[in-house]
Amino acid sequence: MSAELLRTLCYFLTGGFLIFLAITITRDNFRSRLNRITGGMLFFAGLGPMFMALGSVMTASSVEPGMFENSVIFRLRHIWEFFFPLLLMFSWQFPADRTDRIGHRYLKTAIFFPVVMHIVIVLFFDQLSSALDLFRVGSGAEGLSGIVMQPLSKLFSWPKLLLNVLRGYERTIFAVVNLTFVGAATYFLETGKKQVTNPKILTQTKWVLAGTRVGLGLFVLAELGHLFAPRTFNDTVITSLIVAALLSASALLIFATIRHQFLDVQMVFRQSFVNTITSALLVGIYIITVVQGRNMLASMFGVGADVISYGFIILLLLFFQPINNWIDDFIRSMFMRTRTDHRNVIERFSRQVISVFDPRRLRQIIEETLKTTLLVNRVYFVLYDDEISEYAVLPSDDFDQRIVIDRQDLMLRGINLLDAPTYYHSLSDYAIDSDLATLLEARGVRMVLPMKDADHLLGFVALTEKAAGYRYSSEDFNLLGVLSNQMVSALTNARLYTESLERTRLQEEINMARQIQVDLLPKEPPQLGCSQICAHSTPSRTVGGDFYDFIRIDENRIGIVIADASGKGMPAALMIAQTQAMIRTEINNGTPIDKMLQNINQQMALSSSSEKYVTLFYGELNTVDGSFRYANAGHNWPILVRKEGDVELLKTGGVVIGALPSMEYQSDTVKLNSDDLLVLFTDGLSEAMNEQEVEYGEERLRQIVTKHRHKDAHTVLKTVLDDIRKYDPTSPPRDDTTIVTLKMTNNIGRIDEQQT
Amino acid sequence: MKLTDREQNGVMILEPRGKIMGGPDATLLHDKLYDCIQKGKTKVVIDLSRIEWMNSTGLGILIQSYSTLRNSDGQLKLARVTEKIQSLLTITKLEPVFDAYDSVEDAIASFE
Repeated sequence: MSAELLRTLCYFLTGGFLIFLAITITRDNFRSRLNRITGGMLFFAGLGPMFMALGSVMTASSVEPGMFENSVIFRLRHIWEFFFPLLLMFSWQFPADRTDRIGHRYLKTAIFFPVVMHIVIVLFFDQLSSALDLFRVGSGAEGLSGIVMQPLSKLFSWPKLLLNVLRGYERTIFAVVNLTFVGAATYFLETGKKQVTNPKILTQTKWVLAGTRVGLGLFVLAELGHLFAPRTFNDTVITSLIVAALLSASALLIFATIRHQFLDVQMVFRQSFVNTITSALLVGIYIITVVQGRNMLASMFGVGADVISYGFIILLLLFFQPINNWIDDFIRSMFMRTRTDHRNVIERFSRQVISVFDPRRLRQIIEETLKTTLLVNRVYFVLYDDEISEYAVLPSDDFDQRIVIDRQDLMLRGINLLDAPTYYHSLSDYAIDSDLATLLEARGVRMVLPMKDADHLLGFVALTEKAAGYRYSSEDFNLLGVLSNQMVSALTNARLYTESLERTRLQEEINMARQIQVDLLPKEPPQLGCSQICAHSTPSRTVGGDFYDFIRIDENRIGIVIADASGKGMPAALMIAQTQAMIRTEINNGTPIDKMLQNINQQMALSSSSEKYVTLFYGELNTVDGSFRYANAGHNWPILVRKEGDVELLKTGGVVIGALPSMEYQSDTVKLNSDDLLVLFTDGLSEAMNEQEVEYGEERLRQIVTKHRHKDAHTVLKTVLDDIRKYDPTSPPRDDTTIVTLKMTNNIGRIDEQQT
Repeated sequence: MKLTDREQNGVMILEPRGKIMGGPDATLLHDKLYDCIQKGKTKVVIDLSRIEWMNSTGLGILIQSYSTLRNSDGQLKLARVTEKIQSLLTITKLEPVFDAYDSVEDAIASFE
């Protein structure tokens, strides 16, 4: 096979390949400006080698020399130079559309002018030249026509000169012009690259730039070589270099497209690409073997060339599919790896999120996935917040704080109706008076991705436009649909995990708090000669902070404490422990009751925050004379029922302990007589609720206590507790429930010696 | 609990609704008060008419609000205290601590 033929074949394949690419890219997404420009660019790039090939064929088949050089086709060959202004346009369009910001609006048209001029000059040089000569001829005329023609002739001598210069140095001049185009394009791509934030777009830009640079390098080499060493750089070398430039640049472009998702083409593109390569390969083999070797084969096997041709075509049909598959696999393994294929995205995503339980990290992964695989510029999360029971826009690059969305927001309700990824603009009916819509529109949201667990909307992800103006394809919709389902399960898992973790932690704390509380309570009530004391406390599930204590002060006096710390769990348990310790200290110091509460309050108020407080009742019973001195710090009023049925409430005292510093407390003394009944309790008892959510109430408590005042302390306690349990059977109770009953006997004046 | 707020005659009126129970409620109210103090609005009325229920933690939140404002030279007044909360204030002897008024207007007027 001659070198000439090989070169022609090479030109043909290059040109055909580029034109094929151009058509595929444009057809795949005609609405994308970037695709149109790229398509146009590749189309004209493909025309170059096509003309070369055509030239070779025509030269070879022509009878008289110079026939091709004189043909219109040869003169039209410069049409391929439209590639250069299109490359410049491309560099304004990618990675971001900056066309509006570049130069005058006519500049977009003006950049095509040099190419048009080049074609016109080459095509119509003779006609133009002779047209201008018309005026020159007229310069010799006399009279009126001479007067008119002479200045005109002068006027037209400049264009003539210019035309001659352009024609004479056509090649150099337009080479410089084209180089300028490529240089400018490289510059614009370079500056555009600096504004890119999306890592994927950055990679794409790098590859496209690399392609442009390689092309530029080869092109410069060809043109400069021709200027300085015309002998070495003859036409053949130059065209080969240019073809190489075009090929390498477009190869890098294709690499960027397939490997890094450059350009908005569907994956079908890859398939047609594969098909073309397969066909080209087979056609190549066919040409080499059949066309070139048929004579040889015919002489060897003695069969006609046609038979070999048909046989080969049948073989081609048989082998097309396996070879196609093989190339497909090869390209997949070379370029695709596991990156861009949507199936791989889903697989990778689910692998990543399965072990992530931190909602924040989870959102990061989702955001990364969307940004890298779909090239989305920004991602916003609007999620239901269990803590505040509202939907809120979560903080991101744009928002410092989360923004709570009104539950009645129309847009939110609109999104609630969605089941699949949806274009934001199709939700415009819901945008009226919607704060959410205003917010989303201001951020340029294009796509809404609802996340629904059964019928409950967990929230949604809002996506802005894609980088470099790519559109959302139907493949993207499928991918987003699957991803949103995975996000739902990942978010639900994360929430359940956090909840269970929280529950375990809380349960441990509650167990500890309960232990503290149980340890603080006296094991047995004291046995007093003058009275019976009974006490009972049922802790709630969460441990409320109820507490009672009996403290022997001296031979004749016993202190009785009942208290309820605000809050629950460990903080409440610690607070009562602290209170108990302080009470015991103050009693040891012999501080009077009113002063004692004042001191405790002061210390507690200064050591804990004001939201934490203890309601506390403290009383001292003198077993000799039955006097009972007490102070009540904001605690439920203890009920004193006299033998005759009169009820007195022990209110004297002051404000709850620990809330506010510098508080004064009063104390009071009542005389307890035989058969008097004193009932102390906490709010867990009086606030027990029935099914209708009506409280048991202190009034009911007073009535039952009064009714059973003649019974002993233990019976009263049991009766009250039974009645309350009947009223509110919740078990364990909603709140700690504590009751202390004290019944005076006839033996005032004696404390049982066995006691504490 | 939900919390709405408005301003009238330089007095911030906070209106919690639902149940005051602690946890996020405390944060919500406290953040709002902190916000008011930051803006120099230290005269605050809490309208309690829409409170269905309040436990000891809820009362703690009110006490804390009171302290927070007082520490910033401000004042907290209550308005339209429900019967249930009124009895809670009576038992805990916090009644004299909080200035409670029958209407929001009375509470606002009391600042002058």
